[in-house]
Amino acid sequence: MADEKTTTDSPNDVVQKLVHFEKIKPKPAELTGEINTPCISKNASFDWKVQLLADKDQLNHLGYPADGLIPNWKEVFLKKMDEMLNKYRSVRLFMDICVRCGACTDKCHNFLGTGDPYNMPVARAELMRKVYRRYFTWPGKLFGSKLVDGVDLTEEVLALWHTYYYQCTECRRCSVFCPYGIDTAEITMAAREILNSVGLVQKYLHEIVFKAQTIGNNLGMIPDAVVNALEFVQDDLQEELEIEDIRIPIDEEGAEVLFVTPSADFFASPHIESLYGYAKVFYQAGISWTMSTKASEGGNFGLFIHNYEHMKKINSRIWEAAKELKVKRVIGGECGHMWRVLSSYSNTMFGPFDHLDPKYPRPQHICEFTLDLLNRGALKIDKSANDDVVVTMHDSCQVARGMEMGGHPEGQYDIPRGVIKGVCNRFVDMPQETIKERTYCCGAGQGLLGDDMMPIRVKGAMPRMQAYSAVKKSDGVNFLALICAICKAQLSKMLPTYGFAMEEAGGVHQLVAKAIVLGAKEGV
Amino acid sequence: MANLGIFVDMLFNAFTHTALLVFVAGFLYRLYEFKNTPQPLKIPQTPQATTASGVFARMAGDVLIFRSLSKGTKVLWITGWVFHFTFLILILRHLRYFVYPVPGWIVSLGDIALPLGVLMLIALIVLTLRRFTNERVAFVTNPADYFALLLIIGITVTGIMMKFEPFRPDIVAVKAFFYELFTLHGMFGALIFHPVHVPANLVFLTHLFLVLTLLVYFPFSKLMHAGGYFFSPTRNMVNNPRDVRHINPWDTATEEGNNG
Repeated sequence: MADEKTTTDSPNDVVQKLVHFEKIKPKPAELTGEINTPCISKNASFDWKVQLLADKDQLNHLGYPADGLIPNWKEVFLKKMDEMLNKYRSVRLFMDICVRCGACTDKCHNFLGTGDPYNMPVARAELMRKVYRRYFTWPGKLFGSKLVDGVDLTEEVLALWHTYYYQCTECRRCSVFCPYGIDTAEITMAAREILNSVGLVQKYLHEIVFKAQTIGNNLGMIPDAVVNALEFVQDDLQEELEIEDIRIPIDEEGAEVLFVTPSADFFASPHIESLYGYAKVFYQAGISWTMSTKASEGGNFGLFIHNYEHMKKINSRIWEAAKELKVKRVIGGECGHMWRVLSSYSNTMFGPFDHLDPKYPRPQHICEFTLDLLNRGALKIDKSANDDVVVTMHDSCQVARGMEMGGHPEGQYDIPRGVIKGVCNRFVDMPQETIKERTYCCGAGQGLLGDDMMPIRVKGAMPRMQAYSAVKKSDGVNFLALICAICKAQLSKMLPTYGFAMEEAGGVHQLVAKAIVLGAKEGV
Repeated sequence: MANLGIFVDMLFNAFTHTALLVFVAGFLYRLYEFKNTPQPLKIPQTPQATTASGVFARMAGDVLIFRSLSKGTKVLWITGWVFHFTFLILILRHLRYFVYPVPGWIVSLGDIALPLGVLMLIALIVLTLRRFTNERVAFVTNPADYFALLLIIGITVTGIMMKFEPFRPDIVAVKAFFYELFTLHGMFGALIFHPVHVPANLVFLTHLFLVLTLLVYFPFSKLMHAGGYFFSPTRNMVNNPRDVRHINPWDTATEEGNNG
């Protein structure tokens, strides 16, 4: 890396060469059913860069430099880093207390997949700690980088940050095993925002932040398009079921429930199958609901870059819609990080939610809602409809390690499984070290779902694919149930890459949709 | 007891006082710094408890049996735990040099002090070796990590040596040294060229010197994990964001209960 240096190159020229995106053909690992720790191989994934965002209008709107790396980047970089250290206790503390014990070194799916030592969580965090020790501790300030194992800021440092902070999916698995709970996700988020501030902005992720803020959803569908898409789904549903009054309502004031879900659910596959499930559950429960063109996106990519303002702006649309539509409850669909922002952060940003019905958790997860109906016998279920599948569940990282469901510390594991077991006869869990709090990320979370990230997506999916192939071999599992839009997009692509059928990945409510018997009402 | 000379005495007098001051003030300042940095959002790591008492119990598990670490490699967990807890007991055992009269439970630790010291040394050697032999750990190890380990190994080795002749120091002289050091005379003796005499035992002086170095080094190093853990937001926050609203101290709108 960086051998020739000419005096004429500006910092931007230098860094653009270093962070240049190249299309690389990914190779999936061989499936053995076992997850082995690889030997380290230096720079194994250094060439896998994300594409930079170059659209000046979008960059200007987001408040980031529009012409690549700015000339006075060191100054801005350190100022932003100082701001992050002073605004986030997590970031400051995690800079200071790591002892480099190595407990996390074999816990990251991207390390297991690539063997690149910078994908070991501690090494990834050390990229920032080296700068921290050099510029933010007094021995570093006084005696320079050598004494404190620090590093002086150069374009090469930026390239390392840009490469490896975009090979972290902020899934928090490392943090489970850390004796101090050091959460690399917090460090990655801060690092990305520092990179943003000097003009290194990822195309996929930031385009979405832009669209979600200005248009209202990640896909950039204008309100009319959202209405059309949902009407189309509704027509389909009515035709197929031959039930005229099953609906997917949109912007209906006075509905009981505002339903928020990732916009991918409107038409992507297999996401849409879960949308059918939601509609059927609401229909059968007889609870009026509505979606919203304003809050046509549950996902919130502002979270991924520790930019509180962006995250808040995106989230505000949900609470504005809830007020305008005068709903009593807000329910979130199947999505990982959306659930974390909606449930954990919304209350801080826009609470307290006195305008909602205090009888229900505010906001509520669709699995909490459905399981409650199932437990009360409010839904008629024919489990045999799912007898063609043996189901296992992939816990989404942000849900599994994010927050409680149903008021119980382990509800986020038990409630989705409760729904699955309520609608299926055959359920098998994957090996213990790959599920629940120790779940492996699908490999594309937190801004890595772009096509430019395909090599790391394929490598990072390895642990999940091994675990899946293990239960496939032992128990004949043929359905991977998911509760996250990103997991669905990633795994429906990874299954065929690793030699399974694409249809084996799908939502929990896809299973509900199959088993639910509509029409016949039994005691609510 | 032989006299090492007034300058050695003065050096150890001043170093002991300074080191203690730097340690206490530095440690408290760093904790104050952690405490004063705001945590904008609730980021407990589930399955985190949903009540404060549950969080307390979970954290106690982390502190007392290294609960989180136990989920990973068992070698690291066991050696790490053995090192920390033998160290703790041996530090407590040292109270006999500073407390009058010596409580019975400290006296009774005397029988196991030497085996514990040896155990601690073994744990430290294992912890050092794995920094060479495990290629992943070797990749992330910094010189500072070896420094801390070697410093504590030095302390342990000199400590064990003092259990044997001819290195055994005069316990009465050691006690007298620390006692006098914290009297009014001891505090200022070095300044007026009347320092408290240090026991003239080279092993003891090395031991003391290394301990004082550790104390000075402590607040500026990764050793701050000792106090820092308690501020770790993934571990100390209650898992109830929907029930109990967390206020972001720097989002002024949230403080006013802004409803969007």
